[in-house]
Amino acid sequence: MTAPDDPGVPDDTLAAELALGVLDGEERAAALRRMLADPAFAREVAEWRERLDALAATVPAVDPGAEVERRILAGVGTSATARPARLASLAAWRWATALSTAAAAALLGLLVLRPAEVVRLPAPPAPAPLVAVIAPEGGEPFSALFDRSVGEVRLTGAVAVPRGRDAELWAIGADGVPRALGLLASGNARRVEVRGAAVVAGTTLAISIEPVGGSPGPTPSGPVVATGKLVIG
Amino acid sequence: MVRLLVATGDEDRDAFAKLYRLTAAKLFGICLRICEDRQAAEDVLQDVYATVWKRAGAFEVGRASPVTWLAAIARNRAIDWRRANAGRLPGPADAMEELPDDRVHVLDDMLADEADRRLHLCLDQLEDVHRGAIRQAFFGGLTYAELAARCGVPLGTVKSWIRRGLLRLRGCLDDGT
Repeated sequence: MTAPDDPGVPDDTLAAELALGVLDGEERAAALRRMLADPAFAREVAEWRERLDALAATVPAVDPGAEVERRILAGVGTSATARPARLASLAAWRWATALSTAAAAALLGLLVLRPAEVVRLPAPPAPAPLVAVIAPEGGEPFSALFDRSVGEVRLTGAVAVPRGRDAELWAIGADGVPRALGLLASGNARRVEVRGAAVVAGTTLAISIEPVGGSPGPTPSGPVVATGKLVIG
Repeated sequence: MVRLLVATGDEDRDAFAKLYRLTAAKLFGICLRICEDRQAAEDVLQDVYATVWKRAGAFEVGRASPVTWLAAIARNRAIDWRRANAGRLPGPADAMEELPDDRVHVLDDMLADEADRRLHLCLDQLEDVHRGAIRQAFFGGLTYAELAARCGVPLGTVKSWIRRGLLRLRGCLDDGT
């Protein structure tokens, strides 16, 4: 859409444009690559994000009403504590976490053997899960499992997330376009329900660092810190 | 408010309720501004506070103001809703009408910190059309191309509005520090 008609855009302008989210297509991709490769530029983008974030608070206040207040306060009171354990055998799966210090290749071998045990529990024969080894930059590799019977990605490890940021999980299909799967909780619950996005063997899972609440755009806005390709377990 | 947010991070429900009462109108204003639909804004607001409840522990004291932090969550969630419901967006006719009266409103004193006041001052100094374009891009989650289509002006014009507005905004903000 935006033709490359601005060869001489200064860095600070480009950083501001990326932070505001007005770039698209190749311009946006180039600016994102630049952010990964150039820490000074990445800092500039982060500074612009902070400046612009304050804009949101300049909107006039509107009272949402008593009914909304009741719903929201009641909702948190109950749902926050209720976290049903989905699968009893998850503990067995988590056990694999202890082994995540092993080299990625060894871990993959292990995963290929384990999942049969994980999905044996539901009565109808469930499709074999998909597994991936996620190797964060500078961190310990861990494993990801996509349980096709319940449509859920489970992770046995986490990436380092700076305070005030969220890690977001993406699925990158054959078309190379990242699709958001959801935010990764910082606690023990590292499960993401997959709704709508096609996750199949060969899909790459990616984790990016995003502003709180996730990327404001349809694709990652922050650095991608870990990836792994799903294979049939 | 920092204290309430930190306590919410520790799953203190009373603190959460107080935080809600202090901030809900501000965040609802943001949701409404972005969604342009009351029912949707109510749903998004609920989603925002569910996120706040879960994620308050990630708030970094001293980095961003609590209002900025909360407002960023509200904006991100509301823009997500907008993208998912793109077919319901108003057409170009509505878009330009929005520009002239899209002015900065005075913040509640209780919520405004020095940086927010400075931002207001600097936004006020921008030309109307520059400020309007920046706010539309920001609240609509719009790209240059989408903005140009909505406003019915050439791409180059939109780019120049936003670039000039952003650089002037930064110049003003930097003068104040």
